[in-house]
Amino acid sequence: MAEHHTASDCKHKASSNAGGSVSGNGRHSSPAGCGGSGGGLSGGLTQPAGWQSLLSFTILFLAWLAGFSSRLFAVIRFESIIHEFDPWFNYRSTHHLSTNGFYEFLNWFDERAWYPLGRIVGGTVYPGLMVTAGLIHYILNLLHVTVHIRDVCVFLAPVFSGLTAVSTFLLTRELWNQGAGLLAACFIAIVPGYISRSVAGSFDNEGIAIFALQFTYYLWVKSVKTGSVFWTIGCCLSYFYMVSAWGGYVFIINLIPLHVFVLLLMQRFSRRLYIAYSTFYIVGLVLSMQIPFVGFQPIRTSEHMAAAGVFALLQAYAFLQYLKDRLTRQEFQTLFFLGVSLAAGVVFLTVIYLTYTGEYAKIHIPIIASVSEHQPTTWVSFFFDLHILVCTFPAGLWFCIKNINDERVFVALYAISAVYFAGVMVRLMLTLTPVVCMLSAIAFSSVFEHYLGDDMKRENPPAEDSSDEDDKRNQGNLYDKAGKVRKHVSEQDRPEEGLGPNIKSIVTMLMLMLLMMFAVHCTWVTSNAYSSPSVVLASYNHDGSRNILDDFREAYYWLRQNTDEHARVMSWWDYGYQIAGMANRTTLVDNNTWNNSHIALVGKAMSSNESAAYEIMKSLDVDYVLIIFGGVIGYSGDDINKFLWMVRIAEGEHPKDIRESDYFTPQGEFRVDKAGSPTLLNCLMYKMSYYRFGEMQLDFRTPPGFDRTRNAEIGNKDIRLKHLEEAFTSEHWLVRIYRVKKQENRQALDHKLRNIAAKQKYTSKKVLPSRFH
Amino acid sequence: MFYKLLIVVFLAVSLQGAPADGQKKKETLLSEKVSQMMEWTSKRAVIRLNGEKFRRLIRAPPRNYSVIIMFTALQPQRQCGVCKQADEEYQILANSWRYSNAFTNRIFFAMVDFDEGSDVFQMLNMNSAPTFINFPAKGKPKRADTYELQVRGFAAEQLARWVADRTDVHIRVIRPPNYAGPLMLGLLLAFIGSLAYVRRNNLEFLFNKNVWAFSALCFVLIMTSGQMWNHIRGPPYAHKNPNTGQVSYIHGSSQAQFVAETHIVLLFSILHCSRISHTAQLHTE
Repeated sequence: MAEHHTASDCKHKASSNAGGSVSGNGRHSSPAGCGGSGGGLSGGLTQPAGWQSLLSFTILFLAWLAGFSSRLFAVIRFESIIHEFDPWFNYRSTHHLSTNGFYEFLNWFDERAWYPLGRIVGGTVYPGLMVTAGLIHYILNLLHVTVHIRDVCVFLAPVFSGLTAVSTFLLTRELWNQGAGLLAACFIAIVPGYISRSVAGSFDNEGIAIFALQFTYYLWVKSVKTGSVFWTIGCCLSYFYMVSAWGGYVFIINLIPLHVFVLLLMQRFSRRLYIAYSTFYIVGLVLSMQIPFVGFQPIRTSEHMAAAGVFALLQAYAFLQYLKDRLTRQEFQTLFFLGVSLAAGVVFLTVIYLTYTGEYAKIHIPIIASVSEHQPTTWVSFFFDLHILVCTFPAGLWFCIKNINDERVFVALYAISAVYFAGVMVRLMLTLTPVVCMLSAIAFSSVFEHYLGDDMKRENPPAEDSSDEDDKRNQGNLYDKAGKVRKHVSEQDRPEEGLGPNIKSIVTMLMLMLLMMFAVHCTWVTSNAYSSPSVVLASYNHDGSRNILDDFREAYYWLRQNTDEHARVMSWWDYGYQIAGMANRTTLVDNNTWNNSHIALVGKAMSSNESAAYEIMKSLDVDYVLIIFGGVIGYSGDDINKFLWMVRIAEGEHPKDIRESDYFTPQGEFRVDKAGSPTLLNCLMYKMSYYRFGEMQLDFRTPPGFDRTRNAEIGNKDIRLKHLEEAFTSEHWLVRIYRVKKQENRQALDHKLRNIAAKQKYTSKKVLPSRFH
Repeated sequence: MFYKLLIVVFLAVSLQGAPADGQKKKETLLSEKVSQMMEWTSKRAVIRLNGEKFRRLIRAPPRNYSVIIMFTALQPQRQCGVCKQADEEYQILANSWRYSNAFTNRIFFAMVDFDEGSDVFQMLNMNSAPTFINFPAKGKPKRADTYELQVRGFAAEQLARWVADRTDVHIRVIRPPNYAGPLMLGLLLAFIGSLAYVRRNNLEFLFNKNVWAFSALCFVLIMTSGQMWNHIRGPPYAHKNPNTGQVSYIHGSSQAQFVAETHIVLLFSILHCSRISHTAQLHTE
């Protein structure tokens, strides 16, 4: 509950302060900087600038703190532990990095994964995450702060969420004003859409990548605004960090060219834009190719082509501008060339569009379809992850487009593309979240600006005019037709009609209540949905007391202690990273899923009958088989529930041996009870899951062998294993491990004493024909 | 036509006891049936059968043609999304056969909808739709005459391969090119172009921020209300409980949604969004 208070407290402060600082800052929210301009009118403060920066610092600090502490639910409830699946691999490689050093890490060939193939880890990971954690660990140790690398890994994502909040603040301040920036920082600190990927213990690429994303965008906007190479190089370095951290860097390398392209279309070409993009493209390209995993992709693959196309287009455009300055009578030609190059740009964009739709929207490969993250998004998920912000951010988008300038074009494009991708795939909600926070902050801040400020300041024009001021300053080198026609100076000069204090306070109260509900919702979602380590499970009794089910670690530790160091463990790919990380044993397949046929082979072994499976396991040198069985406690994520995916994937590679329809009843149902199909009731996975389960009576209301997950009495209670033997079953039967028996000695040949054929036999043969006489 | 059918049936029944005439009558009956099938096929590539027609044309013995039948449930209240997709593929296959040069009366394509011929479903002891069964010219359908939908999918090419396998009739699947997408794009471009041409003296409207802001807003609202999910998954508009007749507009699970539900959400989002923007702009405007 402590977190809850912190979060909502901060929200109160933030929201009220946002209004306050805006009102103090209304006139002078010029893009270069707000804190220092000091034209404050907020009554009662003698040195407004100082107060403002103090407030900003305090609010940002509190946002950081709230964000950090609301991510600690899992640590407080359970312990400081790495969550889920992928983080275990990241942790294992970070551990390798911190013990063996950087170069050893880059050259690491992991022979414990994908037996017998192995995996070249250094060349197949985005090393940013491991290097960041390793570096922090190194520095802390240098300062004699001795922490275990695991703790660095666990707390990395919460710490970076604070950095994300700061960079979101910076970006929003560039786009709108400081008040909106502070609101945005508070939103992103606690919004569930981002927390879902960055709770303590979820040591994954996304945790640091969102910071890199926002910071890159901030520096890009800054460099477009200033046109200075300094900011652009900063942007490139930040982009480099992003490339090293997450595959989602493709989003940046398409969004920035899109921004440039749209600015060209809007005839907002400027020298600043030219400098920024040319520098960014070249330096960013060279830097991104330094990551081994990325390699030459940026000049080869289609998703990077838009950037190259826009680069060429920009050069052509700039050249034509130059010619236009020199040659006077070339207008027709200019337009002609312009048309041609625009067409080229459009072609590039279409290519990109096709790539995206092909990659994301139409995925039919079973292994990709089997991952629940790759589904389209229902509105429920939008609301669950973003709450009130999802309804508010279109308003912010509206304001941005109504008061357009170079950087607001950027945020509008960001919003539109991110919302499209989030609609196609649940997982990409993560990239939508920051822009939703920024735009909602803008909307809320505009409302507060009008309802929370003093009546005194109404004499001044409101802050949104800053864009026009900005453009006026740079009039020299742009063709700023866009929107310059309409101006509402006259409207602004109109004296304030009395918005009664009642209406003002009612609206303000309503808005504050919305924000309060948002904070409550965020805390609730974080606590209930996103703070489960999924390595340790918890169940609640009727009286609210809690049982910890630690079966996974129990089983992995058993493997670690009781098996040969080089034992090979077969399991479904979900558990590969955990087995490697916690049990330190060789696995056949893991969550990297790069080799579909290998996975299909494991799937085939699981779905064949025991003797056929034994042949496969023998050929793969399997020593142990590990399965997850939830029938005793009613855990729904177990292997029987995933089983159809194993069958499907196996069928994709071995259509002759495995058929999905064999595992259904004639009515097309998947049942484990007596009516289930005989193929299912005799396959290896079924046998291993329910071995000895038929003898077990869970309570007196149900018959023995009653599966609680599927609510059915199992159909095959008398399971005998021939080639396997049970090695270990965890306390709640969640994990079961079987040992694959070595081949038996060949049956001894009967060494009959050589008996020298007696003559009688021959005689008898001779006799034989005589019968036919 | 119904009258004619009656006569045929009557003849078939009444002449059962006359073995001398039997052979001849059988032939006339057969030719009658074939011409009937041909006539229907010329109207629609896939013949729609009900229980009575099914019994007469498929079950009744004199038959020298194979019939591929799709058993399906296309009525919207059945909520069978796969049936619709399978039906489209099946139509493509049947049309490819109907308009090919090799078209003969050796094989016909037909379908039985559950709501028109549920007795057929009972007769064949069938529980799932869509199902493709080949009724060969001679003998009863064997196990391999039921198409393995789970394994092979319902692409027209796969179906054609199966048909060739079972009946020796090779059909080259010709898909009618899908003009809808390019046509829509062309229309849109033409519309924009004509608009630009009509207003060529005053292209200011291209710089009208309201238009741009409005379209961006529409796009965002469409996406956040889950229309993309609807587009990919194709859920029903609302669900009517067959027992109580109660219509529910909101799906019980958070993993799925109805179209109606997304419209409600869309409406709320618009209201909220316009309220916020209106509140904030009240002063400025």
